[in-house]
Amino acid sequence: MTTLRDDTVATPAKVGNEPVITLRGVEKYFPVREGVFQQVVGHVRAVDNVSFEIPRGQTVGLVGESGCGKTTLGRCIAGLTDATGGGIYFRLSVADRQFLDQVDAIPQEQRTQEQRDRVERLERAHRIDRLKGDAWRTYRRNCQFVFQDAFSSLNPRQLVKDIVGRPLKVYKEASGPGLTERVVGLLESVGLGRQHLYRYPHEFSGGQRQRISIARALALDPEFIVLDEPTSALDVSVQSQILNLLHELQQERGLTYLFITHDLGVVRLMSDDIVVMYLGEVMEHATSEELFASPRHPYTDALLAANPDLLSDGDEDTEMRGLEGTLPDPARPPRGCRFHTRCPVATPRCGWEVDDAVAWLLDNATVLDGLSGVERATDFDSVLRFGDEAAAGEAASLLESSDVPASMRTAMVELGTDGAQLRIRFEEVDAVRLEDVGGGHTTSCILHTSQSAGS
Amino acid sequence: MVDTAAPREPLTRTESGPLAVRLRRAGELTREVLRNPTTLMGLIVIVTLISLAFLAPLLTEPNRPDAYQMPRDWGATNAPPGTPGHLLGTTSTGGDVLYGVLWGARTSLRMSLIVVGVTMTVGTIMGSIAGFIGGKVDEFIMRIVDVLLAIPELIFALAIAAVLGPSFANIIFALSVVFWVKYARIIRGQIIHVKHNEYVDSARVIGDSKLNIYRKDVLPNSVTPVVVQATLDMGNIVLVGATLSFIGLAEAGLAEWGVLVSEGQAGISSGRWWASTFPGAMVFLWALAFNLLGDGLRDVLDPRTGGR
Ligand SMILES: Nc1ncnc2c1ncn2[C@@H]1O[C@H](COP(=O)(O)OP(=O)(O)OP(=O)(O)O)[C@@H](O)[C@H]1O
Ligand code: SF4
Ligand SMILES: [Mg+2]
Repeated sequence: MTTLRDDTVATPAKVGNEPVITLRGVEKYFPVREGVFQQVVGHVRAVDNVSFEIPRGQTVGLVGESGCGKTTLGRCIAGLTDATGGGIYFRLSVADRQFLDQVDAIPQEQRTQEQRDRVERLERAHRIDRLKGDAWRTYRRNCQFVFQDAFSSLNPRQLVKDIVGRPLKVYKEASGPGLTERVVGLLESVGLGRQHLYRYPHEFSGGQRQRISIARALALDPEFIVLDEPTSALDVSVQSQILNLLHELQQERGLTYLFITHDLGVVRLMSDDIVVMYLGEVMEHATSEELFASPRHPYTDALLAANPDLLSDGDEDTEMRGLEGTLPDPARPPRGCRFHTRCPVATPRCGWEVDDAVAWLLDNATVLDGLSGVERATDFDSVLRFGDEAAAGEAASLLESSDVPASMRTAMVELGTDGAQLRIRFEEVDAVRLEDVGGGHTTSCILHTSQSAGS
Repeated sequence: MVDTAAPREPLTRTESGPLAVRLRRAGELTREVLRNPTTLMGLIVIVTLISLAFLAPLLTEPNRPDAYQMPRDWGATNAPPGTPGHLLGTTSTGGDVLYGVLWGARTSLRMSLIVVGVTMTVGTIMGSIAGFIGGKVDEFIMRIVDVLLAIPELIFALAIAAVLGPSFANIIFALSVVFWVKYARIIRGQIIHVKHNEYVDSARVIGDSKLNIYRKDVLPNSVTPVVVQATLDMGNIVLVGATLSFIGLAEAGLAEWGVLVSEGQAGISSGRWWASTFPGAMVFLWALAFNLLGDGLRDVLDPRTGGR
């Protein structure tokens, strides 16, 4: 089975910890369609400008609330859907990645022919959406996926033998009795056995089904597996068995995992590195120890607070404690830092915008009944039109009151009425960037980086 | 649910092979279907009617040269039931009603099998193309389907058969044109639903071909409602077919229930009820039995009503 790791795609790094998967500015936008003619009226930014590496033999944990784009990113990596921007690379060495980053920083017309040729060569050899023929097949068999729902990821009309043996058939690796023996071997490696060959998925418990999924993912002896919440649908006791199994398999076979979950406790057990995502963006990225010992992002703090097991004993209903408010619409993500609408320590420089003022008025005032329109010059500068002067005046005085969060009030640089119109202008800020705060620990929070100029 | 718990059944089955497992599953489903008494009754009637169809050449002397033409006994017209040699009586043209009933069952069986076979295949292919490929192709096919579905089956089949001229073959053709659309719609809906299942993505991630994914994952998980519809259609087709031949769209003298009912109706007012009643009852029984079985199957098979 060692022949499976062939080198047709690229020379795999012999050095430990060279990445198996490299993400460079990956984006996945889903068009939002509306109306009879289904015009595209916007895009859900499910994954936005995500960059990180998944080193060989390691586990990178991907955490974040429901809907933040974890599954979408996993599906892009597994080639189940195409990213709409950026690049996903297979077996791209760190040196080559650095070269690509350097060239990216050079404007198109200033790049030398040599640089362009090398970029083209690298992309053709490593970028998964440009792989062809054998290279694509090599990638396809080396990158597998275990789905969250072990019920819907197994075809109910197929016997276990056909499910687990299918990858071997597709690549014509085995047939007849040889196939059966290979399947038995795979079943045994996940704690099942020969007696399970000729059964249907519905005859198994959730945990057993997930074992079958894992056996199928292992069939082609892949290098890398995306594990999309593989245990979140299972009972706690079963969860730990599956996690142990995954861990053992990783040790035995030198597997590389992307472990997707919203459970920080699970991710801590499993991961070497952790990537924290919020609304499609990476908020923080650090080694597991670093992240738990000294989180450098209020969103991570909030997740930790919501997970009392990881801190000192917490109280009962802790569903997302420390995380108030609702997830903003991913089709119109907040400006500045995307977390600012819910961040308990937000500053005036975090990206306050007109939408925040409107949302606050909606929650706190009745005057909005009289709101008839919003004229946006920019997201930071708009005119709200009210039914009458009194309503506009009331809205203005409400926004000036001390009920409004101080950071938002400070960020509001202009607030004035003109008849029934209310002009609101916020200080304009740039989107936050991930910055290294030492030892490869990156965060996007301006409180922890050098971006926090002003105010 | 504890992961290590023993599977539902003891280990006696460990050695059973794939065929045994599949047979056992079929057995389980059959038993579940037959637990419903009305379904069981439907099935019994169907088995009886089909046996009669098969036994017709043994129970009666086949007419020559064409067994599907009614034999004429001009010496015994309008004989009442119970007449020796004419158990169910004869028609005004000396046709033996028993012969018509038995060979009519054969005609019905042939007609419904041909039409269901053709329409199920065509409908499944069209619906599969629409559902699996999607986009413009889907829109095109479904526009046709929508238009055809808007016309009542009987009227549509009647129009086609009338244009083509009276013959039994034309009735079969007309029914085939009419009855495929429902399958197309059912299969398309199923496929659109099924293709979003993660087992389809699982197959893509191991790199299996589109055709294999359709064949192994999508189609097998989409066909159950088609089986139900086919069962119902086995009955409906005979009903519509008999109606068309009743109004004269089949050749006169054909051993077909609709033709017989039509031939016998003139005698009803004079008290000769048998020539119409027996074949009429057969149409009724046939349609009813397949509908009972179809409904029973739906209860067990159709995922939307909570079965499997
Ligand atoms: N096929 C799609 N079309 C349109 N929008 C989509 C599609 N798939 C996902 N999205 C949107 O993209 C965003 C991210 O979804 P995704 O499933 O990746 O989140 P997630 O982090 O995996 O959440 P969960 O923890 O619930 O699994 C969501 O807003 C979702 O509505
Ligand atoms: S930048 Fe930091 S402080 Fe500001 S909103 Fe984001 S997480 Fe909160
Ligand atoms: Mg998900």
